[in-house]
Amino acid sequence: MGRLFGRVTGLLCIVILLNACVTPKANVSLYHQLGGEPTIERIIDSFINEIGRHPTIIQYFKEANVMHFRTGFIRHMCALLDGPCKYTGDSMVQIHTGMDITTRDFNIVVELLITAMNEAGVSHVLQNQILARMAPLRSEIIKI
Amino acid sequence: MFVIRTFIILCILCCLSPQALLAKTLLLTDQHHKPLSGVVVELLDGDMIKVVPSEVAVMDQVGKRFAPRLLVISKGQSVRFPNSDDIRHHVYSFSQAKSFELKLYAGTPKKPIIFEQSGIVVLGCNIHDSMVGYIYVANHPHVYISNDKGLVELPDFTQDYTVWHETQVGDINQREQHQWSARKQQQITIITTLAPLPRNTFGEVFKEHHGH
Repeated sequence: MGRLFGRVTGLLCIVILLNACVTPKANVSLYHQLGGEPTIERIIDSFINEIGRHPTIIQYFKEANVMHFRTGFIRHMCALLDGPCKYTGDSMVQIHTGMDITTRDFNIVVELLITAMNEAGVSHVLQNQILARMAPLRSEIIKI
Repeated sequence: MFVIRTFIILCILCCLSPQALLAKTLLLTDQHHKPLSGVVVELLDGDMIKVVPSEVAVMDQVGKRFAPRLLVISKGQSVRFPNSDDIRHHVYSFSQAKSFELKLYAGTPKKPIIFEQSGIVVLGCNIHDSMVGYIYVANHPHVYISNDKGLVELPDFTQDYTVWHETQVGDINQREQHQWSARKQQQITIITTLAPLPRNTFGEVFKEHHGH
């Protein structure tokens, strides 16, 4: 019992310590924590690869211009993570209107993005923060 | 009396029938003697276009394709881009004859575009790189497109004409001039073509993963 208590306290301490490590970064943008443009480019390139290899998701992208998508998403992600970019492309609603994206396919794409972030070596803590920034866009993408 | 009337009517019908007006047949082929459809043949004889057709031509977007792929209009004519797809398209042209950009969103039609200069307008879509279309803006009123067999029926007065095809080698704007050989009713014109370059689409880049 005492040992268990000790372990829980130990874990708590580690969590607090970790938090202490994370807290000072609160002023540093997610963009910079991630490693800036090079990391974003790595994520998007992996993501493009994942889309291209997925038999269901490729159907939405088949005719799409790869370079246009790459440039647009890199800039959008940079802006979304408080980087030094301004996203001037079409809105999420304009982009996804008429695509009839199902909840299932939307979730698959989120999984592909997570895989891409793993491949780019992004920590899970950062991944969660990035996904949290993207989550509000869901209603602008799905079933419209 | 009845026989004479029938004869007269038949004569009028003969004169009006397309065979009487269109007497020359041109065959368009590539360098391998394969018939070429979609060749634009413009007759240089006679007047240039004086009265611009008031009809607004249509270049639609259907199933992520330009429809038609090739549109022939007269110099000065307008074209609508209705976007029958319910998704967005960013239509553009960098062509000398007319450069423009048109952002088409579902349910928001844009004003027609006037094509004041003759020439070839190559259309693309920023979003969908597989979309390619052509607007041929003609100078002369007599313009024809070769059919699936590579054939065009031309009027009997045909003398000088130009040919253009989307896969021709060299300058896309070039309309090569030819002359009809005297006393021939059929003629062949060869256009040297080149296979189109692959497009920068997901479908093209990842086709080895999906078997097409």
